[in-house]
Amino acid sequence: MDKKLGVYICACGGNISDYVDIEKVKEAIKDEDCVLLARTTMFACGDSNQKDMEADIKENNLSGIVVASCSPKLHLTTFRSVSERAGLNKYNYVHANIREQASWAHSDNKQGATEKAIHLVKAAIAKARFAKSLEPTRIKSQKSVAVIGAGVAGIKASIALSNMGDTVYLIEREGEIGGKLASLGKIFPGNVKGGDMVERLNAEVKNDEKITLLTNTKIKECSGNIGDFKIKLQETKSGESSPDSEKEINVGSILVATGFESYNPNVGEYGYKEIDNVITLPEFRELLKNGKEGKNLIFKNRKVSDIAFIYCVGSRQVKGENKYCSRYCCSAAMQSSLDIKEQFSDIQVYHFTKGVRTYGAQELKYAEASRSGDIFIQFPDKEEPVVYSEKGQTLVKVKDILSSKKEVEAAVDLVVLVTGMVPDSDKSVGSLLKLPRGRDNFFNEIHMKLRPVETVIDGITIAGTCQGPKGVMESVNSALSAAVKTHSFVSKGELELSPIVAYTDANTCEWCGACSEACPYNAISKNDIGGKTVAVINKTTCKGCGMCLPVCESDSIELTSFTNKEIESMIEILAN
Amino acid sequence: MNICSNQKTVEMEIRTKLKFDAIVIGGGIAGGEAALNLANNGYKVAIIEKELSIGGKMILLSKVFPTLDCSACITTPKVSEISRHPGITIFTETEVEHIEKRGEHDFSAYVKRRPRYVIAEDCTGCQLCEKACPVITKDQFQFNLIGRKAAFIPFSIASPKVAAIDMENCTLCGACEKVCPSNCIDFTQEDRFYEIEARSAIIATGFKLYDPANLPRYGAGLYKNVLTSMQMERQLAPTRPFNTILRPGDGKVPDKIAYVLCAGSRDDSAGNPICSQICCMYSIKQAQLLMGALPMADITIYYIDIRAFGKGYDEFYEQAKGMGVKFIKGKIGKISELENGSLTLRYEDIQSGRIKEAEHDLVVLSVGALANKETPLLFKGLRPDVDKQDFILQGDPVLSPARTTIDGIFVAGTASGPKDIPDSILSAGSAAAEALSYLTM
Repeated sequence: MDKKLGVYICACGGNISDYVDIEKVKEAIKDEDCVLLARTTMFACGDSNQKDMEADIKENNLSGIVVASCSPKLHLTTFRSVSERAGLNKYNYVHANIREQASWAHSDNKQGATEKAIHLVKAAIAKARFAKSLEPTRIKSQKSVAVIGAGVAGIKASIALSNMGDTVYLIEREGEIGGKLASLGKIFPGNVKGGDMVERLNAEVKNDEKITLLTNTKIKECSGNIGDFKIKLQETKSGESSPDSEKEINVGSILVATGFESYNPNVGEYGYKEIDNVITLPEFRELLKNGKEGKNLIFKNRKVSDIAFIYCVGSRQVKGENKYCSRYCCSAAMQSSLDIKEQFSDIQVYHFTKGVRTYGAQELKYAEASRSGDIFIQFPDKEEPVVYSEKGQTLVKVKDILSSKKEVEAAVDLVVLVTGMVPDSDKSVGSLLKLPRGRDNFFNEIHMKLRPVETVIDGITIAGTCQGPKGVMESVNSALSAAVKTHSFVSKGELELSPIVAYTDANTCEWCGACSEACPYNAISKNDIGGKTVAVINKTTCKGCGMCLPVCESDSIELTSFTNKEIESMIEILAN
Repeated sequence: MNICSNQKTVEMEIRTKLKFDAIVIGGGIAGGEAALNLANNGYKVAIIEKELSIGGKMILLSKVFPTLDCSACITTPKVSEISRHPGITIFTETEVEHIEKRGEHDFSAYVKRRPRYVIAEDCTGCQLCEKACPVITKDQFQFNLIGRKAAFIPFSIASPKVAAIDMENCTLCGACEKVCPSNCIDFTQEDRFYEIEARSAIIATGFKLYDPANLPRYGAGLYKNVLTSMQMERQLAPTRPFNTILRPGDGKVPDKIAYVLCAGSRDDSAGNPICSQICCMYSIKQAQLLMGALPMADITIYYIDIRAFGKGYDEFYEQAKGMGVKFIKGKIGKISELENGSLTLRYEDIQSGRIKEAEHDLVVLSVGALANKETPLLFKGLRPDVDKQDFILQGDPVLSPARTTIDGIFVAGTASGPKDIPDSILSAGSAAAEALSYLTM
């Protein structure tokens, strides 16, 4: 074999070298077949090492590179780019993961971790010997975008995309746009009410020629890939649907902003739906709008003088599934209390909290509520308040941490359950687009810090609360970030797709359809080639996932960059 | 040789004129992310960074919550992408003298690039100058935990990884010049002046750490074993100074560590009534890392409220509790030093309602985030407004959070208020979107 390989073993500033003896790894692999040079480095991803690698490739005319470092999820593209800059086709780069798979996994066994790392690097070298130069598939990209969900995130993203020059289809299942924003009062940090904001946004959307607003519309089907998604839409006026209300759009990228739902308490949870003056925060916001009579707040024909807010309902659950903090509710409750004070000076508010989380400048709202005479009671994490009714009175009983766990009881006219955010219960968009969810069941980003608005499906971004609980300002920031990312997918009008795809051998393929069934992307079709029925794989839709390979009985499918030869050579090393 | 640029008259000053689509003030993670978003869409961007390296505070961190990704591992490739981007020009060791909005899409910034006394293009980062230099001074990038030379590379993952001479401490002995293999030491370098014309501006000047010297009751700077959280961050980082955790007083490995939350946050008496939004989480993260580094150590976090509000944060907090980190609800009133260098913490234990005292051999003050008050002063003429805490005021805070009170000037990251890394990055994307809209207008 005439390949000339350069191998780099990364210390990861101790993340690897604290457990794996990287000098020993270097010694063990430096004389492997085809290895021309082997080096250790403090941070392979560091700028200076990248420069050194480029110089090595050029000076030694290397035809392949192996970096043994962290997970390829983090740095595969980093080192592919290094190869590319040095004039070496990037598919001659092979990544070995000796951090997540060796040093971190075996921090209790340094010798074993080192041996495993040696095996992994040798296997990567074996693969690199067979690696081939590949060219990306170039496709034209539609310069239009579909934004799903016309809440504040979807609307702001649409306006931004339109300002940047893209054609936008803004799709909303309801008849009105604005989502939950319309029902909100004053929104931090400012004094503008949600309803007023929606009015302003509505006007902006309607005056924008580049935005096609499609209300009462649902996604029925979605196919295609980045640059060229085909979405079938259906209009759903008053629940009915007929074939002629269907429509298809063709877009280059999809921005998902399907939002959240307020947690809906179970019957009996803090007396909800059993005691008639227990309501949720969204219900209370409605009451604030409509329940004013003279100087009084009236609920079910009775004047309200004392209100208890119970925090973390549906969030940070000890028994339930929602372990996460919904982040916006403390501030929302605080704002609601201040709104009460503004209109009704003689209402006493009690806050039953699990520790108040008014982060950042929201703290000033907390301070204001405290100063206005609100009473704060903190219950222990695992001993939630009990709401019960006795002699026509509604009582909240709790152990208060702030007064050394004394049992405190408050008789109130209204109990407001400060409900958190949960993912939208309509899961159709997520499953049609095959978007993965996190353990909190919200959509998952690729990487919280490096790629916070992208999903594993190329060309689909996520914005706002469908990714996780957020305040309105935070939703807008995420929406605008997603808009920039989405714009960069479609703005050039052309895209490069990964050439790592599966292909069939028409000579040996005896169409059985198993591969087509196994393919999650509908990329395999039945074709006639020279009178023979065979499977053909569409290289723009294929994601190179490899699901079709093991089901092929005649072994007629290969995956570029993961050919049988490459994989077998790796197994041989690893099994030794 | 005396290098003193202010003796020069203004007439003699040569100012190079450069044109860009956007000027980004600050090359931390937010500034970098905003610049990348603009450059990836075809715009030319200048980043002005006052330090010797871009990467801001993030590049100096250990691991980041809640995923425990190694911060260097995710910052270095970003920084590398920024520094290589053909659409981005980086000015390190450069300060904005003033910036002025002359009209829509018309900004002019006067900037001064201080000399490194090293020809950056020729420096290979070999560090021979560092070895040869006889002068030792405090290392600001290790937050003064250890020393560095006067000829030095800022830190191992700095970008650019190029030496610099610290002229304040240099004795001009010439030792570095003699050993430099690429002859790149140049003592004749002077300030360079530029006028940067740009069509929009992004403020990404970040935040300042609260100076605990303002809290004498906690003894920072007075008691050797009271550290700031940033100093502990350095001790835990891959590029750490000691390769283990040491208390600075006597080099002992600590086994009873206390965290004092809200040191300079949520405290009117400390001049900062707001919550800094990051300290709870970074303290919990450090506690988890310490449990890994020092499995026998006791770690106690003294808190008012734990603000674990982001995606996966509360789960991360629960994980710390599960690992055995002790959480005590109570604000520390006073810290005093014992003869053996250990410290006594006096606090109100909220759960029992009693005043208590506890002894720890190392105390970490979880210092908060403050505004960089100088930022608005960089602007001549029209100046963006600030809020009560001196952070850049958001012009339309809810619906256009990245707008300032002046059209064409946008704000990214913590310059508009405390934020964690994910929120800083999203706010940078938001600023880029606003700037893109403004530029295409």
